[in-house]
Formats: sequence, C-alpha cells, structure tokens
Amino acid sequence: MTRNLSRTLFAVTLLLLLAGLFLLSQAGLLRPVENLALRPLVAAQQWISLRFAAVRELVTSPRDIAALRQEIAVLQAENAGLQREIISLREQVAEAEILAILVNYARTQPENRYLAADVIGRDVSPYLRSILIGRGSDDGILRGMPVVTDRGLVGRVVEVFGPSARIQLLTDPASAVNVRLQTSRADAVLAPQLNGELWLDLIPQDAELSVGELVLTSGLGGGYPPDIPVGQVISTRKRDFELFQQAVIQPTVDFERLEIVLVITSFRPLSIEPGNP
Amino acid sequence: MAIIVGIPLLAILAILQSTILSQLRLLDGRPDLVLLAVVGWGMTGRWRESMIWGFIGGLFLDLLSGMPFGATAVLLVLVGAMVSFWFGRFWEAHFLLPLGVTLAASLLLHGLSLAALVLIGHEIDPLTAVARVVLPSTFLNLLLAIPASELASSLSQALFPPQVRA
Repeated sequence: MTRNLSRTLFAVTLLLLLAGLFLLSQAGLLRPVENLALRPLVAAQQWISLRFAAVRELVTSPRDIAALRQEIAVLQAENAGLQREIISLREQVAEAEILAILVNYARTQPENRYLAADVIGRDVSPYLRSILIGRGSDDGILRGMPVVTDRGLVGRVVEVFGPSARIQLLTDPASAVNVRLQTSRADAVLAPQLNGELWLDLIPQDAELSVGELVLTSGLGGGYPPDIPVGQVISTRKRDFELFQQAVIQPTVDFERLEIVLVITSFRPLSIEPGNP
Repeated sequence: MAIIVGIPLLAILAILQSTILSQLRLLDGRPDLVLLAVVGWGMTGRWRESMIWGFIGGLFLDLLSGMPFGATAVLLVLVGAMVSFWFGRFWEAHFLLPLGVTLAASLLLHGLSLAALVLIGHEIDPLTAVARVVLPSTFLNLLLAIPASELASSLSQALFPPQVRA
C-alpha cells in the first residue's frame, strides 16, 4: 500500500513538473533552454542524416552499384583515409547537384529570396507530417515562411529555434493551403488525409476539371505566395446533391526524398488572427 | 547512475527515431525506441528511474516533434508508472509476458497521443490512424520488445551488479 502510494506520488510529482514546463513553454519562456538543448541534438541529427542519406543512396540506386563496385576495387588499394575522403566528396557532389537544380529554380523566380537548408530529421510523431531543417532563427528564418523545392511547394515554417526549424508539410492533415486549378481557374482548398492522400475540397460544382490539370497556390489568405506548383489532378468526384466537388491530386514534390529545401525568406505571410493588425 | 547513462542514451534513441526510423516505416508505423527503453528499464524493477527515463526521453522527443512541449513526456511517465504498478504481479512468471506489457504500453501511448492531438484541434480519422499507425507501430514494438528488455536487463546488471554476501 505504502509502495503504491509512493509510486503514485512520484508519478504525480513528475506530471506536475511537466505541467509547469508546458505552461512555461506556451508562454515562450522556455525558448532559450530549448535552443540550448537543441544545438547538440541538431548537430547529431545532421551528422547521422548525412550518413544515412549516403547509405540509402548506395542501397536504393541499383544502376550505380556496378560502377561503385569498380570504384571500391580500385579504392581498396589505397588507404582507409582516402576512401573516407572519396565517399565524402561523392556526397558533396550529390549535394552540389541538388543545389545546382535549386539555384536554377531560384534564378527563374528572381522576385523571391531563398535560403537553402538541409533536411535533418522528421517528426517523431507518426501522426504529424513535418520535417526539421538545419536552419533556424540564427539564419533569419521566421515562422510562416514558405518552403519549396524546384518541383514545387513543400510546406511552411511552423516553429523556429536557434539552429533549426520545423516545416509542416503539405501532407500534414492540419495543413490547409488555398490553391487554384490552372486551366479551369477554380479555387479550392487542399485537404490532406492521414493516409497520405491529398484531396482538393470546396471546388465549385460548375468547374470543369480535367485529369492531369496542374494545381498551383492561389495566394488567397496571404499564407503562401501565388503560382507555386502543388500537384496534378489524378481523379475527381462530383455528386449532384453536394455543394462542392472534390479531387485527388498527386503532389509534384516527392516528400519521401527531401534532402535539401529552399526557404523563401522574402515572403512575409499575412496574419489574420484576431488582434494582429 | 542510471539517469547519467539514461540522458545520452535517450537522446541517441530520440535522434535515431527522428532521422532513420522515420524513414523505415511499415505503412505509417515505426518503432518507438524511447518507449521500448522506458518499458525495458521498468521491467528491471527500477520503477523510479523508469518514470524519470519517460520524463527525459519524452522531453527529447517533444523537442524533435510538433507535439505540444511536454505532451509525449506526460505519456511516457504514465507508461513508466503503468509498468511500475504491474511489476512483480504478472510477468516474472513467464519470459514472454513483457510482450503483453509492451502491447499495453504501445496502445496506451498511441491512444493518448491521438487523444492529445484531437484535443489541440487536429482532425484525425481514428480508423485510418489505427490501421496505418497504431497497429503497425505496435507490431514493430512487439518485434523489438524482447531484445529491448534483454538489453535493459544487461545494462541494469552492468550498472548495478547483484550484491553477493560472503
């Protein structure tokens, strides 16, 4: 009995401590401590994710295996230090190739300013679809900034720390993006599902949708800049008794393969929350 | 001592969960390494440290997640408490019973996570969540439950060798 009481008291003490931490965090008073705790975590995340990306690249690129084996046979004659250097250089080349594509994309959008960032981790909760990038308030990242790749919209910054930031992906069920269908000019709202499907909702019944039609951000609401590609329509659902029709889209971005993203630093989202003029 | 070892260990597990395991998924499920550590340590009988591990590990996970700060820590402290209340009553009778504890702990963690997200306004379809996340994650946790409890037991014996009377 005493033992159970002691356990209960200990658990309650910890829970009360956590309640205090939660309140301090909500008030923003824990931000310096969170930044301090995140620095070593982010450094470790960057180190691990870089190496994991290299290993995954090796495993999932069967076309490269023969060439890599030949390279390895040559490299075996050299010392271990040189091998490490070569692997490191290869990773840098892959990174440079991605960056070159992103720079080309940025050149086509001269009205925006971009900051490239490495993806260093994903949300540990399976119910939330977000990624962590290795840039934060230290680099001028602000909450609400849109994040893109050369393929299209990735999401937006929802939480910023000193060395890192959290990006809510388009595929997160809590994300809502105002979009426009390029050909039919119909406005819609992106409604991601937990199973990963991207639905378009609130499409007017009179809109003539076609499969393959491109979906772009509309800029309505001021949350995102207009005309960033989001996806392509793959199917539609229209019922006469409903007010709106729906569509399923295929995102232009491969969210499973994000390695480097661009944050649009020149865009300031409009806040329409009460009390924010 | 267990807390000094626990802090870096739990940090590493949280980072692995964020960087590697988040990409090695079964549907949308993934193993919960920190949960397994808390359950494994609780099953060594060190209930107080198990709850503290839940506290610390949960805070690490919250730093790397969009969950409200402290939410995962609350859930893992509750898991630690649940394991401690059950310790000595059931599973010492059979080595497979840790699977039952991991099953209960996984379902508790995911059930409360879903409830917390719904409370803060996330729209989550419970059936999809169960089919795509809860069941696959629980299955993966069960696969790792016995190795995790064996590792926790070995670590406990290394840190706290049994006293032998002369």
